[in-house]
Amino acid sequence: MSEHRIECTVNGEPVAVDRVPSRRLLSDFLRDDLHLTGTKRGCETGICGACSVRVDGEVVKSCLMLAVQVRGRDVQTVEGLARGEALHPLQESFMQCGGLQCGYCTPGFLMASCAMLETNPSPSADEVRHGLNGNLCRCTGYTQIVESVLDAAEKMRHGN
Amino acid sequence: MREFDFLEPATVAEASRMLAGLGDDARIFAGGTALMLAMRQRMLAPTHLVSLAGIEALRGIDFDAARGLRIGALARHCDVAASPLVRRHFPVLASMAARVANPQVRNQGTLGGNLCYGDPSTDPPGCLLALDARVLVASARGERELPLEAFLVDYFQTALEPDELLVEIRVPPMAPGSEGVYTRFLRTAAEHRPLASVALVAQRDGLLCHTARIAVGASTPIPTRVRRAEAFLEGRTMDASAVAQAAAIVAADIEPVSDARGDADFRRRMVEVVAGRTMGELFGIDIDNTEPEGACA
Repeated sequence: MSEHRIECTVNGEPVAVDRVPSRRLLSDFLRDDLHLTGTKRGCETGICGACSVRVDGEVVKSCLMLAVQVRGRDVQTVEGLARGEALHPLQESFMQCGGLQCGYCTPGFLMASCAMLETNPSPSADEVRHGLNGNLCRCTGYTQIVESVLDAAEKMRHGN
Repeated sequence: MREFDFLEPATVAEASRMLAGLGDDARIFAGGTALMLAMRQRMLAPTHLVSLAGIEALRGIDFDAARGLRIGALARHCDVAASPLVRRHFPVLASMAARVANPQVRNQGTLGGNLCYGDPSTDPPGCLLALDARVLVASARGERELPLEAFLVDYFQTALEPDELLVEIRVPPMAPGSEGVYTRFLRTAAEHRPLASVALVAQRDGLLCHTARIAVGASTPIPTRVRRAEAFLEGRTMDASAVAQAAAIVAADIEPVSDARGDADFRRRMVEVVAGRTMGELFGIDIDNTEPEGACA
């Protein structure tokens, strides 16, 4: 069965992996081939959003994407959010506002929030809820997640 | 997911020849969001996927005042939702596309893939039916255009021949003075698949309805035009009572599916509610809100 050489950019770094089978999911490529285990496998059926990453800036579910689809493209995972030791404002806000409990869904929420705030830097609470409706959290009840994103949006507008 | 070869044709003709040669062992891969789920559940186990990503002719969204809108089959739901042409000339279509599934799936799934999969529990087919959309399909043998109504044959079944591809969706210009409203019912606000949807495109002067196209989606095996309700609306001056009567006709004239998400009686009742809301919104009429509450979005 066919195998492919996957060349792409992941978190700003060029990567190349040979002999990747056609059926390799992007989520498995990131975790098993590149050892970037921040991206979580949750439902693996496109429901929960724990595997959300950004491809060319847009948030996608990496369990619904094949690795071959990212050839030549720019992938960002949760590992690419912080700048060295400096956390991304979203990461700070999720910590400060209690936007996570068990933390399993958090990488997906962070990536979806990050993509949303780029197109809508001043969302209302309702817009945050709609923007995150591809992600499930079974701990927080969502209220603190929405508060975290609004808090981060404000920080980012003020250039923090 | 079983192993498969990933084929990457550059033209429609090349893709068509691959499909003709491979028969049932091949499946077309566009956005992949639906196909991959079916493969993971082993409902489908193709030995070959024919990826359309390299076929430029399937891309783009254009508008021409005489011919209307052309949406390349590979346009994603997010592309349709964000397109300035769609937003200006077919706001109802942009509004529908902005509600499909969730942001991630809108960034991955394509309009062409959605129509070819033939899954009734999605938003686009019903909305496009009310807009009188047509589709262009092509193979190495040539191309043909057919009304969407003829393309959608049955539950998960389309008029595509084994070697054919959906190339583009064509939406004729909206008549002057016409507008559209698309409304859906979700069992819970967190659900991504509508249980019932109603799309209405009407040409009107205030409350006087000249022409109407009504399509029910998500509750029937394929989206269904309700021509008796359209005839009822045409030439009528609308009020709350006319809305209620028309909604009752819509509900009476469909054959709803019964499945785990809702039995036929429930779906019929919700179609009536959604039809009333759709007409109320388009004509600006306050309708009786004693009906069951639902998560309309």
